[in-house]
Amino acid sequence: MSKELIRLQNLTMEFDGERILDGINLYINDHEFLTLLGPSGCGKTTTLRIIGGFLTPTSGEVLFDGQRTNDVPPYKRQVNTIFQRYALFPHLDVYDNIAFGLRVAKLSKAEIQERVTEMLAIVGLKGYEHRRIDNLSGGQQQRVAIARALVNRPKVLLLDEPLAALDLRLRKDMQNELKRIQQAMGITFVYVTHDQEEALSMSDTVVVMDKGRIQQIGKPEDIYNEPKNAFVADFIGESNILDGVMLEDYKVKFFGRVFNCLDAGFAPNEPVDVVIRPEDIDFVPPEEGHLVGTVTSVTFKGLNYDIIVDFRGFKWLIQTTDYQSVGAKVGIRLNPEDIHVMKKSEYSGMFGDYSSYSAEYDELTEDADDEEE
Amino acid sequence: MKKANKLITVLIFIFLYIPMAVLIIGSFNEGKSLSSFEGFTLRQYAELFRDKDLLALLGNSLLISILATAIATAFGTFAAVGIYNLKPKMRKAVMSLTNIPMTNPDIVTGISLSLLFVFIGTGMLGNKQSLNFWTLLIAHITFSLPYVLLNVMPKLQQMNPALKDAAMDLGCTPLHSFFKVTIHEIMPGIVSGAIMAFTMSLDDFVISYFVTGSDFVTLPVKIYSFTKKPIHPKVYAMFTLLFALIFVLMVTMNLLQLRSDKKKTQSRTKPESRAMRTFKRVGAIACVVILLAGTVFLFAVTRQNKITLNVMNWGQNIADGSDGTLDIIEAFEDKYPHIQVNYSEYASNEELYSKLSNGGLVVDVIIPSDYMIARMINENMLLPLDFDNIPNYKNVLETYKNQAYDPENKYSVPYTWGTVGIIYNSKYVSEEDVTGWDLLWNEKYAKKILMFDNSRDAFGIAAYKLGIDVNTTDKAELQKCADALAKQQPLVQQYVMDQVYEKMIEGNAWIAPYYAGDAMMMMDENPDLRFYLPENQNFNLFIDAMCIPTCSQEKEAAELFIDFMCNPEVSGANMDYICYGSPIDGATEYMEEYLAESEIIYPPVETLERGSSYAFLPEEITRYVENLFMKVRLPAEPSPPSEDSPDILPTVVITLCAAAVFGTFLYAKAKRKKKS
Amino acid sequence: MMKKNNSLLLSIPYILWMLIFTLIPLGVVAYYALTDPDTGAFTLQNIQDLGMFLPTLGISTGYALISAFICLLLGYPVAYYIAHRSPVMQKILYMLVMLPMCMSFLLRTLAWVGLLESNGIINSLLSALHLKPVTMIGTPAAVILGMVYNYLPYMILPLYAVIVKIDHRLIEAAEDLGCSSSQVFSRVILPLSMPGILSGITMVFVPAVSTFYISQKLGGTETLLIGDVIERLFKSAGNPNLGASLSLVLMLLVFICTGVMNRFGSDEEGGVVV
Repeated sequence: MSKELIRLQNLTMEFDGERILDGINLYINDHEFLTLLGPSGCGKTTTLRIIGGFLTPTSGEVLFDGQRTNDVPPYKRQVNTIFQRYALFPHLDVYDNIAFGLRVAKLSKAEIQERVTEMLAIVGLKGYEHRRIDNLSGGQQQRVAIARALVNRPKVLLLDEPLAALDLRLRKDMQNELKRIQQAMGITFVYVTHDQEEALSMSDTVVVMDKGRIQQIGKPEDIYNEPKNAFVADFIGESNILDGVMLEDYKVKFFGRVFNCLDAGFAPNEPVDVVIRPEDIDFVPPEEGHLVGTVTSVTFKGLNYDIIVDFRGFKWLIQTTDYQSVGAKVGIRLNPEDIHVMKKSEYSGMFGDYSSYSAEYDELTEDADDEEE
Repeated sequence: MKKANKLITVLIFIFLYIPMAVLIIGSFNEGKSLSSFEGFTLRQYAELFRDKDLLALLGNSLLISILATAIATAFGTFAAVGIYNLKPKMRKAVMSLTNIPMTNPDIVTGISLSLLFVFIGTGMLGNKQSLNFWTLLIAHITFSLPYVLLNVMPKLQQMNPALKDAAMDLGCTPLHSFFKVTIHEIMPGIVSGAIMAFTMSLDDFVISYFVTGSDFVTLPVKIYSFTKKPIHPKVYAMFTLLFALIFVLMVTMNLLQLRSDKKKTQSRTKPESRAMRTFKRVGAIACVVILLAGTVFLFAVTRQNKITLNVMNWGQNIADGSDGTLDIIEAFEDKYPHIQVNYSEYASNEELYSKLSNGGLVVDVIIPSDYMIARMINENMLLPLDFDNIPNYKNVLETYKNQAYDPENKYSVPYTWGTVGIIYNSKYVSEEDVTGWDLLWNEKYAKKILMFDNSRDAFGIAAYKLGIDVNTTDKAELQKCADALAKQQPLVQQYVMDQVYEKMIEGNAWIAPYYAGDAMMMMDENPDLRFYLPENQNFNLFIDAMCIPTCSQEKEAAELFIDFMCNPEVSGANMDYICYGSPIDGATEYMEEYLAESEIIYPPVETLERGSSYAFLPEEITRYVENLFMKVRLPAEPSPPSEDSPDILPTVVITLCAAAVFGTFLYAKAKRKKKS
Repeated sequence: MMKKNNSLLLSIPYILWMLIFTLIPLGVVAYYALTDPDTGAFTLQNIQDLGMFLPTLGISTGYALISAFICLLLGYPVAYYIAHRSPVMQKILYMLVMLPMCMSFLLRTLAWVGLLESNGIINSLLSALHLKPVTMIGTPAAVILGMVYNYLPYMILPLYAVIVKIDHRLIEAAEDLGCSSSQVFSRVILPLSMPGILSGITMVFVPAVSTFYISQKLGGTETLLIGDVIERLFKSAGNPNLGASLSLVLMLLVFICTGVMNRFGSDEEGGVVV
């Protein structure tokens, strides 16, 4: 990519003695679409607000184009923000909302008119100039918020869960729309979300955060395929995570059996976490399988079935298009490329067991995330 | 259930609006009383607009409320923003500070502020007039502030905090973002806070009553002092106009709001909305400016750049030009155009004494009675007069000079003299009962008797009735008087001073002791009234004299005023109205004959021999008497309702309430049964 | 940081103002209460003398409580009724409740004097109907009537503000769970309107317990209230020091009463909002 635009060095943030951010190091390139991903309370919004200038870090540096900007107030930064639930001014109509920043900057009337009209065209709100904000749909409000921020031609656009308030379909449309606008205008986007799918599908770079620390930075594919620890593995997609021992390079032992894998660089006999993605597992007849288990629950999901299989008391989630009935004995084979080995971390043993799996699991966690931040 | 609620609601609204209706009808009444309608007229409105003083009072009230509201609203709004951003603990502390004037009774707030102003202003800064326009304004701002704060705070809490961030994000400084965004969001709170502050300030009586000095009086405080005579109906006319104004204002405000609500639900605003908005904004500002300018103008017109002479007199104790008499103040101001008289009233010597000793106000001429003059001389509250400036002093009859209260004639110039007797309504009181002071203790007339609400006159009457020396300093004798008054207490309808007028004229009370001149004025209004001086008992003979208190700032002007009052022609004209005896030689020549010859005003010599005057009592005794009187006034224990007049009202009220509640429940039950 | 400084800067003038004009004056009152009226020396006499006002204090509290209770009984159905009208109707009725509060309370009380006098309007009507006239003025009931009349809006407005916010679905839920309409009232509506009831009672009680105008105009000799005594001590008895100590007692009484009220209710400021 191109040159570096923002750098965060050793950022820490404390509120009333509670540590919200703990040593964040991150650089953001020009024209990059970077996503801060993590569960609520992980510090992603705090990081964004520090970049926006709404918060001053307790310690550490915020560099913008190499300049220290810790104490520069938001109104002097070349950064604009799209807020959670948009924060549109209810006393102004669409036009006045978009023109707000330009008027503050004391641009000429003609120029304001020109830029606002141009922006309205980009976000597809022509003809809505004099609508009241509270008469717009969620998607339209979203577009006004984008227009209001972008009309100022910021170098960086910060987006704080911008799609959280929209329904699923609209969210998908807006994802494409945002990506399109970002590419068309060539602006750096720093995007905060707790939705892993959104993060993976839109970003150039994903930063996974938890407990005020960065867990992993990488391209979406890398994050998905090579999670660094159990937290990332679990948070990005579904994972079965097992205890294992790395016997030597390319040999990992779990469930009392040695498997070939593609990972190397561990100490001999080092205990590790083994990740197996549910969609990577294929059923074979029991007699051909590396492992044999019993199906305990089957849920139809549309594209596939979520099947829980009990292997010696450890329950795996398997996503497959092959139907199996409850109680059936099944065998599975694991290819070396299906097995990801991770170093042990503080998250080991916390995730990856589907003993308490229920069909509503996903929805519940998602709702809880929506409540917060 | 719903029907019962509806019925109660309708009844309550009738209840709420009956008194208003009474006042509005009263404003069209030919007669002066609220109780009887004597024919339709619009005259009261004409009189209202002719009454410069009343309009000036209204101007005062408006000025103080508009200023207080404007300042409190701006101040309170900024403070609210600041407090909102404070740490929670600090915010809580500040909010409990805010709640003090909200929960504290008005009377305590008023007293505490007035004590503070006098304590700091007079005590520490040496400003004699420490109760003035500015202190009144401070008081109004202080009690208005919490209303603004408590209305703005919730709006700040409701506001999406991201809006402010958004404004800053788009380039606004914090201050800029307040004016461009925050203020629009909290505007409803600001407006409702300002409206509440304004109405509270405009109608405030209690706090203003304690904080008002002599230079600036608001309408409610003045209305409170209109206790003599039934209030002039032009006041009702003013009430009616204000009512109409506020009604129209409220209706238009609600209509506007309804319209804008409707607009909100419409999908798109019309293109001219921007122009409309500017128009509305300009209109609103113009309204405020016009209102403010108007009050300032009203204010300026009524007080020009002149010497202000503060005269404080008994209620209804100077000819005011009504009923064809001379308007003495006007005549004085005509003669001395550089002086403007600021006239105010008190109801008793003790009230005057309290006002002066509480401090904080400037008064130039007072007219206390003999014993009070002695007390004030004793306490160095009076200035010696410069008689070179009072050449007319030569007109004062020798009889009224060298009195015991001012043996060297250094401090006072007599104004009137008179007697204290009994006024009774011959329609209800039979002549055979009129046998001296005992009439005031006659159980036949229980609850129709009024009594003096000042310790000196009350104890004086008790002493005359018991044959005790009125100037006794013997505590045992005083206790006897107190016992007699305590015995009388259950028979008394009310302890009054100037309210005696309205009560006696309307026939609501039948017997009252009062001053002869006032008795004449009452008899003028109600021919059934008689004045009576006990034949075989003593009574009080008093002299009221003009003095200059030490707080005066215009001594020379005050002496001009005193001199003016010693002019026989002026004094005579004055007596025509106030019906007292004039101490000025030759004044009777200018009086109406029937008054000059009235035996009530000028009793025969042999009657006057029974008169005695109150002398100065030592401070300790004065306080002792005051305490005894306070005890007499305190209701000993809730007395059982007397048998001949069953106390019907509480029964009615309570039964009504109970019936309403029970009715509601019964109705609800019956309905439920029907359903099932 | 910068934001904190600004907020402090904005609030400090207010805090100072309120300290100077609410807290310090109370200190001055206390100073007066503890000094001798003549010599200005320290004394406890004014506190000792308070004993004789105890019955008056009791009577005043009683009157105020009765008035607050009657206001509640009368005000609740009205507030309930208003809260269940259409929005336009609510606005109109709300305005009609507000309107009397904006008009001179002195004159409105005087109108009651005209109504209740022995020769007043009501008695004239009674005698026109050949009924025996009734003594109303000067009775405790007249004073309570005056209090109820003057302070009823202070009860209705907070009650309305609370009732109108009660979610109608809660009532439906209660009915769904088998509550009869009176049970719905006692188990759902009443508990939910408790903050309004408490703030209404406070708002009626405080001015009622300290009034002196109403009792002067509508009352008689046995309705001397604590406010009357304080007013007398300041305005005519020439003993502001005793008056100061009595106002401290009154203040204490009010703060205790409102404190007890707030203890009952979780949520305080149910303040009237126009």
